[in-house]
Amino acid sequence: MNFNTKLLHGKAVKPYADDATIPQISQVSAFQYETAEEQERVFQHKAVGFAYTRVGNPTVAAFEQRINELEGGNAAIACSSGMSAITLGLLNMLCAGDEIIASSSLYGGTLDLFEDLIKFGITTRFVEHMTIEEIEPLINEKTKLIFSEVIGNPGLAVLDIRTIADYAHSKGIPLMVDSTTATPYLVNPIRLGANFVVHSSSKYINGGGNSISGVLIDAAKFKWDFEKFRALDGYKKYGPLAYTIRLRTDIWENMGSCLSPFNAFMNIVGMETLGIRMERICSNADTIAHALNEIDGLAVNYPSLDNNPYRELAEQQFDGKGFGGILTFRAGSKEKAFKVLNALKFVTRASNIGDIRTLAIHPASTLFIRSNEQAKKAAGVYEDTIRISAGIEDAGDLIDDLKQAIRASREI
Amino acid sequence: MMQEDAVMKITVAGDRKEVKDGITVAELIAQEKVETPEYVSVSVNEEFIQKEDFETRKLEAGDEVEFLYFMGGGC
Repeated sequence: MNFNTKLLHGKAVKPYADDATIPQISQVSAFQYETAEEQERVFQHKAVGFAYTRVGNPTVAAFEQRINELEGGNAAIACSSGMSAITLGLLNMLCAGDEIIASSSLYGGTLDLFEDLIKFGITTRFVEHMTIEEIEPLINEKTKLIFSEVIGNPGLAVLDIRTIADYAHSKGIPLMVDSTTATPYLVNPIRLGANFVVHSSSKYINGGGNSISGVLIDAAKFKWDFEKFRALDGYKKYGPLAYTIRLRTDIWENMGSCLSPFNAFMNIVGMETLGIRMERICSNADTIAHALNEIDGLAVNYPSLDNNPYRELAEQQFDGKGFGGILTFRAGSKEKAFKVLNALKFVTRASNIGDIRTLAIHPASTLFIRSNEQAKKAAGVYEDTIRISAGIEDAGDLIDDLKQAIRASREI
Repeated sequence: MMQEDAVMKITVAGDRKEVKDGITVAELIAQEKVETPEYVSVSVNEEFIQKEDFETRKLEAGDEVEFLYFMGGGC
């Protein structure tokens, strides 16, 4: 079954109550039982059932199962946001004293989180390029995880998932990737060896920019050294299932970052068109990037452009399906960048990505406002960078709008 | 004359049951009509069996099998 068919008819798409074609919204806090014995069995995990929406909900489970099937994982756990998915995913396997090696080409919020984790005794060491050459010198006995985005936001570095996964495993370390910007449409990182995939499903998966959510998918293939990964102490008997079981029954459950049933419903509705939206979005991003690349002095960045160092990797890794929906260009100065943004007529000035609307933002003064200059530069963010998240409008209209805004910024 | 399959006794979710001798974990899951079989976790004598081994892992007389639900959402 291919991608678009699987979205609508995969194993995770079940018959729903009253033969409804999409799940009902279980907008409820708790679930009742006929007997105390039955309720006990559910709490013991010996029976399928729901007890309390913070720890499980039918609509949320429907979303989790769909995304898990798309990613080819063992289990998915939905969270209130992408940031909570990353936070809980990390806290589930790290203790004070542990270290992460991460790409510096990350979303500003993730960089801020890594900064916050320092006070919890978790140190992140950054590499400018996710290559074995740059990672190797940073590995020590404290290193417990390698973390990267599949397509850096907004630096657009593309991760060679297979190479880095294999290398990480050779060192007894798992690989976690944030695949928000790639989505299951372009690639399934688990099939290339990634151990954990996180998404801000607020973005392309939801598609409509209407609900905040996140999700983590565990491949359950990592052979945990329980002496090394002290955070999973007590879960040894579960073997490779230890990570998911600890996350679901301990960290995620206790820290309470559950997903709203309504948001899960909106994700289910949105993800049913993920394939066709990504086709259009990737096509638009590519067309816009090439059109703007004809204009002198914009320094357009997009993986499909001829001079892009990641073009060949992206072409191969994403099976020719596209290069993602994000591109950047440089306006010449912060002042000119603001003029471009202010002159846009319908490209929308907003801070998310992955919407059906085309969005534009000045990352340096917004998403990366708490990052220092070195971190910004490492993430591909300059004072004059504008990030575009391509939507589904007609490409010609988008190009016209962007060109007139760029002309306006250059008028003396 | 047809030979009947040999049987053995195991415990499944706390209940003593007679099953085909050498039944695999996958066969037991199907036989027991386990809910959400794609998400069930299986322990045999408190050892968790990996999903990729369901088809090949054969049960033995006296085994204690638990079906546990962590993966598919829910409690």
